[in-house]
Amino acid sequence: MTSSGLTPLDFDAVSFAYGRAPVLSDVSLSVHQGEFVAVVGSNGSGKTTLMKLGLGLLEPSAGRVRLFGHDVASFRQWWQLGYVPQRAAASSALPVSVEEVVVSGLAARSRLFRRRPPEVVARIDHVVDLLGLDRVRRTRMSELSGGQQQRALIARALVSGPKLLVLDEPTTGVDGEARSVLRESLQHLVEVEGMAVVYVSHDPEGFSGLAQRVVEVVDGRIVTQDERPTSHQVAAG
Amino acid sequence: MNPFEFEFMQRAFVACVAIAAVAPLVGSFIVQRGQSLVGDGMGHVAFAGVGLAFLVGAEPVLGALAFTALAGLLLVRMGRAGLAGDLAIALIFYGGIAVGYLFSSQANAGQTQLVGLLFGSPLNLTWPEVWVIVGLAVVVLLLTVVLYPKLVAMAFDEQAARVAGVPTDRMVMALTLMVALVVVGGMSSIGLLLISAMMVVPVAAAAQLASSYRGALVLASAIGGASAVVGLLASYYLNYAPGSAIVLVAIAGYIATTAWRALAHTAAASSG
Repeated sequence: MTSSGLTPLDFDAVSFAYGRAPVLSDVSLSVHQGEFVAVVGSNGSGKTTLMKLGLGLLEPSAGRVRLFGHDVASFRQWWQLGYVPQRAAASSALPVSVEEVVVSGLAARSRLFRRRPPEVVARIDHVVDLLGLDRVRRTRMSELSGGQQQRALIARALVSGPKLLVLDEPTTGVDGEARSVLRESLQHLVEVEGMAVVYVSHDPEGFSGLAQRVVEVVDGRIVTQDERPTSHQVAAG
Repeated sequence: MNPFEFEFMQRAFVACVAIAAVAPLVGSFIVQRGQSLVGDGMGHVAFAGVGLAFLVGAEPVLGALAFTALAGLLLVRMGRAGLAGDLAIALIFYGGIAVGYLFSSQANAGQTQLVGLLFGSPLNLTWPEVWVIVGLAVVVLLLTVVLYPKLVAMAFDEQAARVAGVPTDRMVMALTLMVALVVVGGMSSIGLLLISAMMVVPVAAAAQLASSYRGALVLASAIGGASAVVGLLASYYLNYAPGSAIVLVAIAGYIATTAWRALAHTAAASSG
């Protein structure tokens, strides 16, 4: 079944609790194709829990989460989903090259003793180039700056050609130059490739001028959904 | 006198090199998951299986395999249920060694036999025992090759791998089984209490030099195999305990690669 045209991410009256402690209450939110949605909130507001529910890493205690029209529990087309964590989870002592990190985004679809199809090789080259990683492709991750490491994680999330990209505090510990590369890349993904982006952050600087909608989470509830023009829309009109 | 002229040395070399070369392949993934000591714990559990095998007159390898596989399943299930805390794991592992010694003493197992299992006795292996060890090593190697992309993705970031569609629960299960196979394979050759060192130390040594995960894996395997060769030669010429000699050579390799890397960094810094 094709998922084109289906809403990439849909929360329908979702609640969640860790044990008896409620974290999210009756949250409804839809993210559409080609839309950039920023989710903001202070520490402990529930925004990270909301993101984990959307990624299928947690199960809601009430309500439904759908990815491309499918209940998240039965969703299997994971290549449509890209996830960028706050920072690399692996130890800095791990001897891993940038290319290996990027290619690991294709692990679920790898087949033993089969060469990568040309279109997959082209996709790897494309994301490496898009994120400005070509020169450090075979460099060990631990030898890169925080910003370059973050770009490698974004490239990993993009290598499967996802239609929905979820970023968790992607600019934490990242320098100014890397932030601007990230902004350009995200702008390209939304405006040229039509990707849906969910950007979870407490720092508005990372998404200002990019987000079409800012969703604020306070004490486990969505309190505002602010529609705003992007810098591209302002310039165009 | 050339040690390779003796058949007992040939058997020791084949068994020790096979298991010491594949142990780091599994070790590289458990180290990244922060479970460096899981192999050590599995060795304790395997001892319980061996003890039961002594008691009922079964093959020790089968007892060890059954107990480590069961312990692996239990650990994975406890992990999913959020019960795999330090205390629960310690209870399983220490319970294993206590039960193992209880069964062994009830079965009147000889002290030499027990020490051989705990610290390795490769010079006493028979050819059928060697082929079992080689068989286990081949299974571990094949599993590593087949599962490599998914295990690597999980080693980098388990959550991101799960979001990318990697069946992480099944991979954890497979990895635990691979640890069990290495422990059982290393039981009679390098020793239940020492084999886990061969899962960890060559990996740490290789990480000092490699710039890619694949390179580190190949290098760690080579360091493991070379440690077995050098350790057995030391054991032959200097009359050292073979299991201990193999692990100490691996540790020397780690110290050497760490020193080499530090020197290389110093040289790079002073030239730059």
